[in-house]
Amino acid sequence: MFIASKLLLLLGLTLLLAGCGDTFDDLNPSGKDRRPAVDQNVPGPHVGQNAADFTLTNTLGESVNLATELSNARGVVLYFNMWCPICDAHMSHMRSYVMPDFPEVKFLLVDYVSGSVDRSRSAQLSNGYAALNVLVDTDEAVLNQFNATMGTTVVIDSSGIVRMNEDYKDGSKLYDTLEALP
Amino acid sequence: MNNNKVSQALLLAGGIALFSTSAAWAASCCGGGSASSLLLPKFSKAMSDASLDIEQYDGFWNRDGDHTPDPPGSDLNQYRLNLGYAYRFAPRWQGSITVPYIWNENNYAGLKSGTNGLGDTTVSVWYENFDGIQCVWKVKSIEDLKPAAYFGATLTIPTGVSPYDDVGNSFDITGRGFYRLDGTILLDKTVYPWNASLLLSYGTYFKRSVNREYGNYVEPYDRSLGDRMLATASLGYTQFLESMSTLTYTASFSDLRENEGKIDSHRDPASGFRKRSIAATVAFATLDRDWVIKFSWSHALRGDGWGENFPVTDVYTVGVSHVYR
Repeated sequence: MFIASKLLLLLGLTLLLAGCGDTFDDLNPSGKDRRPAVDQNVPGPHVGQNAADFTLTNTLGESVNLATELSNARGVVLYFNMWCPICDAHMSHMRSYVMPDFPEVKFLLVDYVSGSVDRSRSAQLSNGYAALNVLVDTDEAVLNQFNATMGTTVVIDSSGIVRMNEDYKDGSKLYDTLEALP
Repeated sequence: MNNNKVSQALLLAGGIALFSTSAAWAASCCGGGSASSLLLPKFSKAMSDASLDIEQYDGFWNRDGDHTPDPPGSDLNQYRLNLGYAYRFAPRWQGSITVPYIWNENNYAGLKSGTNGLGDTTVSVWYENFDGIQCVWKVKSIEDLKPAAYFGATLTIPTGVSPYDDVGNSFDITGRGFYRLDGTILLDKTVYPWNASLLLSYGTYFKRSVNREYGNYVEPYDRSLGDRMLATASLGYTQFLESMSTLTYTASFSDLRENEGKIDSHRDPASGFRKRSIAATVAFATLDRDWVIKFSWSHALRGDGWGENFPVTDVYTVGVSHVYR
């Protein structure tokens, strides 16, 4: 039983250390708003800032430029995608419940994992999104530009201002943001 | 690469993986149980358990249940070292704790990454609805068919690192970030050399606040995951060796599903899943049943319709348990 007691003590200490480390937010979740203040109307990825222009190649080999897309649309939506189950769920939801209501908005999927147009096109087809416009972010420049990760959804209005930059979640924030576009 | 990628794809898998870390077979005899729980045999005082899981990923089922392959060149693996301890504090009552430590080794579309950390901890309390040995060699009366029944409650504590922690990189993720309470019923019957068991479990997550995702503070919101249901049926055969030690072969089928969760009051379209899998286990127990060494293979059925919104994986487990009398 001595060994058993020591094992129990070890497990307890492990939990204690875990509680003091990175897991604290999970053991004691907080609902406080701790977002830092952000300067508006300056270049940057945050809401209220100006999105820097970029150009990527899509899976059809065409060059897609942000400024050009914005010039003939109410706005642009960027969805950062890695062809995973969560991405699939988000994109499926967006295709069914958001895109049909905003035909004047450009929806662009940003594939930052495939690394080449051919591989991205292959993933696009095997995942069933042949009709969507998929941009291939081979060096993750646009991913880094928007400080994005899997599921990040960015809305840019026609004047180039970022209106939303956060996880897709249930799509309601995206919908509300698009409805509020000028 | 910006490493905010692959382990997010593994996040859901992490949830099920953490559930399966409790797969610790006691001396599979007379109330020890052959189902997936860290359970003490009857009349024993305590038990320690260590096991290593190797989980390999092979695409995922989408929401329509269609199997979708990973990008070419992908090789996704998770390794889990599970340490468990069970203790009997009354003739019919026992408790246990399992702590996993997780390593993720991923090569996704040619992009390599790796991370490690503590997983989510589980603490269980079990009540046994019997006092004596329930295993029999021969069925002489209807009473001999009465199974050993266990009623358990398990609390999952989010000691792992989740997307809502202070992580700048999702490869650091080793847990789901939610407390969960499971109620479990386990029925186990042995008529030598055969054994059958049925495990039914229902779990509910506790809603939590979120103000940070992958290290970035976000507008606070409430998130909850859907209730979870697990059913596992297993059938085993025990072979007595010349030394009277045993080899027990067990085959099982599991059906796990989790309902959709909510973000504030809205449905979360990315949540909810289903996974059906089969497993085979070989367990060697010494003559006195104090030591058990086990190997198991859990295989998710890859075909379309065998799962939804969840990665398809194989899990190989090797473990050892020691019972203190």
